[in-house]
Amino acid sequence: MIVSTRERWLGRVLLVVLMLITIAPFISLFVTALHPPGTYPAGLSWPEDPHWGNFAEAFQSAQMGKLLTSSLLIELGVVPIALLIGTMAGFALGHLRPPGGKVIFLVFLLGLTLPFEGIIVPLYYQVRDLGLLNTRWAIILPLIALFMPFAVFWMRAHFINMPEDMSEAARIDGATTWQLFWRIHVPLSMPALSSLAILMFLWTWNQFLLAVVLVDDPTQRTMAGALGAFQGQWGTDIPLLCAGSLLILTPTLILFLVFQRQFVTALLQGSVKG
Amino acid sequence: MALVLPAAAFYSVFVLKSIASTIQYSFYDWNGVTAATFVGFDNYLEVFREDELAGSIVNAFELILFFSIIPVTLGLAAAATIRKFATSRMAMASRTVLFLPQIIPLVAAGIMWSWLLSTDGLVNQLLRAVGLGSLTRAWLGDFDTALPAVGVIGAWVLFGLCMLLLLAGMTKIDPSLYEAARIDGAGPFREFFSITLPSLRQEIGVCVTVTVIAALASFDIVYISTQGGPGNSTLVPGLEIYYLAFFQREIGTASALAVVLMLLVLAVVLPMQRLTRER
Amino acid sequence: MTLEAYIETGFPLPKALMDEFTAQYPNVTFNVREDQFAVITQNAPRVLADDPPDLMRLPQVSELAEDGLLLNLDGYAEAFGWDQWPATQLEQMRVDDEGRRGSGPLYAMGLNSSMTGVFYNKQQAAQIGMTEAPATLEEFDSYLQAAKDAGLVPIAQFNGGATGGLAFPLQNLMTSYGEATPINDWIFQKDGATIDTDTNLQAAQHLEKWIDAGYFAEDINSMDYSMMMSRFIGGQSTFIFDGDWESGNLDTQMAGNVGFFLMPSATEGGPQAAMSAPLTYGISASAANPDCAAFFLDWAATNEEARTIGVEIGGSRPMGPADAFMPEVDPDTVTAQTLAAGATIGEDNGAMDFIANATGSIYAKSWTPNLQKMVAGELAAEDLLPAVQADYESEIG
Repeated sequence: MIVSTRERWLGRVLLVVLMLITIAPFISLFVTALHPPGTYPAGLSWPEDPHWGNFAEAFQSAQMGKLLTSSLLIELGVVPIALLIGTMAGFALGHLRPPGGKVIFLVFLLGLTLPFEGIIVPLYYQVRDLGLLNTRWAIILPLIALFMPFAVFWMRAHFINMPEDMSEAARIDGATTWQLFWRIHVPLSMPALSSLAILMFLWTWNQFLLAVVLVDDPTQRTMAGALGAFQGQWGTDIPLLCAGSLLILTPTLILFLVFQRQFVTALLQGSVKG
Repeated sequence: MALVLPAAAFYSVFVLKSIASTIQYSFYDWNGVTAATFVGFDNYLEVFREDELAGSIVNAFELILFFSIIPVTLGLAAAATIRKFATSRMAMASRTVLFLPQIIPLVAAGIMWSWLLSTDGLVNQLLRAVGLGSLTRAWLGDFDTALPAVGVIGAWVLFGLCMLLLLAGMTKIDPSLYEAARIDGAGPFREFFSITLPSLRQEIGVCVTVTVIAALASFDIVYISTQGGPGNSTLVPGLEIYYLAFFQREIGTASALAVVLMLLVLAVVLPMQRLTRER
Repeated sequence: MTLEAYIETGFPLPKALMDEFTAQYPNVTFNVREDQFAVITQNAPRVLADDPPDLMRLPQVSELAEDGLLLNLDGYAEAFGWDQWPATQLEQMRVDDEGRRGSGPLYAMGLNSSMTGVFYNKQQAAQIGMTEAPATLEEFDSYLQAAKDAGLVPIAQFNGGATGGLAFPLQNLMTSYGEATPINDWIFQKDGATIDTDTNLQAAQHLEKWIDAGYFAEDINSMDYSMMMSRFIGGQSTFIFDGDWESGNLDTQMAGNVGFFLMPSATEGGPQAAMSAPLTYGISASAANPDCAAFFLDWAATNEEARTIGVEIGGSRPMGPADAFMPEVDPDTVTAQTLAAGATIGEDNGAMDFIANATGSIYAKSWTPNLQKMVAGELAAEDLLPAVQADYESEIG
């Protein structure tokens, strides 16, 4: 392809500027985290005496260990179950196509654009009546339900493109529907499944509204919810707040850097299909 | 059919039932503790009559400009500019960087930006450095700039996603189309409007849908950065529902606003789906 | 035994008291959760009903009590003899069955009784020729102008987010022009009470004059409480309107350089009044350990160690009998000044609750947005009080 030098340079400069704008807030957060606790550092300035201890202090005072455990427990409660039942439904609706499946699918689709705020009020009373308020279940159960529209939609789109003949061959060999699903289709669907898993992991980790409304104790919340509580408690101390925020961001950042290809693909596909 | 059951059960119990309850609550006057009284459409009238509630809806629509229009147009421009070396090393590296705002919690974005936009923050520092000191202000505390400032945070979060989506779409366009256009003597602008834009209909539709929902249903960023202030100038429906339901304990009004919000999202998103799917 | 406590972040007093209590009674420990006051205000009904704490920092109590979320403390009051204390101490925490405050059963207790006024930076005051506290409002105005002329920031008052701190100077100005009683009636939701009175209008107009004259820092609409404290301590504000809960802190951080005065009256020698309210703590109606929590509240008011902590760390007069033990305080400290001012207010019968406490959401949903609008010139002083009164009436219906 013909690309003029001018265009090439313009493109490069533009990219660098965009990257700088994207990264600047992170740098500002980092630099501010190194200032003495309790001060209001002005703008972006390297402190004379960087307080690396802020990270240790924030780690302790934010009970980072407990927060991590809590978020992981919630992930463990949400992602495998949502993945399994979403895939089952997607398989049924996309591949087996039972009568009435179209209608059921449309009802699921309805939930795809649902803003969580729309149902947060009744969710609160429902969870309270179940006696689950302030437990991790208060986040886990509704979240599984809220992920269903996307999970079903995503997996159905995948299974609808799977060739019929493979299933027929298996049927002739006497496979039950479950065996067909578990032994043949699930192993073949790993790319779609892993993308879905990544997306649900991320959405759970970053879920804020449910955590704020349904769980008061930050050590029972998701990471985003814990960060909200952390701001409540440390909003009075900017450098510590910044240090704590960075710590809370670190696990996802590491995961992202390690699995960046999968993350990018999942997010891009996820939004195209969503 | 049994395979659909677990998913359908979760979905019905927590989502469908909750939607129904929201609609039900919206016709009652209820404080969450004592008995509720049926009030018909009063709560809806309140949503449209009270400045504070109606204003929150207007604010959400204003946010669309920042959450949606800016990231999509800028994303288009940027993607078109770097399209030609989309596979170069630098472009690949930029993917990682530009995606960062997508993976962090919105809460974190809110915290970072509140600090950047404060009186002594980086934004004002930069303005002073380039001699625009007179423009400096507390961006999130000023009636004229608070909502746009919240919008900028959203634009920052959503820009990378839009640009990369559009870029991915552009790399799928047949290069021979461009070759032909060049031979016809088309400049970059004509190239963009006659080839790139029409081919990206679906991707643009996706970007607009995702970002419009993000704007109308915004909560996290506003909750962290302004709590709706100053003077309700950044109040959005999501936050107002939260305040009404859990703080002022006007469950009925909160639910009416929730119903309006759900309908608004559908009203905006459904026609857009139509537009982009039809070819 | 572990008491579940939900307290306000940024104030060391409750934790200091709890530590001392655990030292004296090792079988009792505290599980503490902290939030900023605005968040506590938002969470209060939910937390009290669904996640009941034994001890909780309370916002305005009338609706919480009316809805049966708070434990009626009358039994404890009798058992511990709180009913023998000066009656005004507990008045603000009594709620009748229609949600009006001032009389009825007791639903909360104070960890101490705080009081507000004006703190100033002594060095900067000397620089602008202020050698003693202003005797009239006019004199105060002239010092504000002098500070402005000297290139200082006269007042960096927090007014951002959900906390409209201009309510402090506004209510102080109300007392300069008028009396405390009608304001208290309004706060206590007495029948027919209104905030929209002639003298209060004069106060609002005076506040507007200050805003227009540039006496407040430019960015107050985005300034939170802790930023105000940081600026004042760092010498970036000559005056602030604040309460004696900061006295201990300021004595440490600005030793010798900080003074306090009560808002002067509009006329020389006129009576002085101040917002003065207990640091209210309550017990959830469904708390697990109400007896122990009530014992703690009594202990905080009567134990000598606790009272010492209350004065030295809290900066305010503890609750309790009029003749109770008081620790020695260095007369040069601002703590001594605020304690003395508390006595003056007692003599002038000028104690008022805070106008932000009139209803559960009047602060966050009415005073705050309206005051922020006033700062930005979007709301005229004449329209402030009618707007707040309308919200007040729609809420108490």
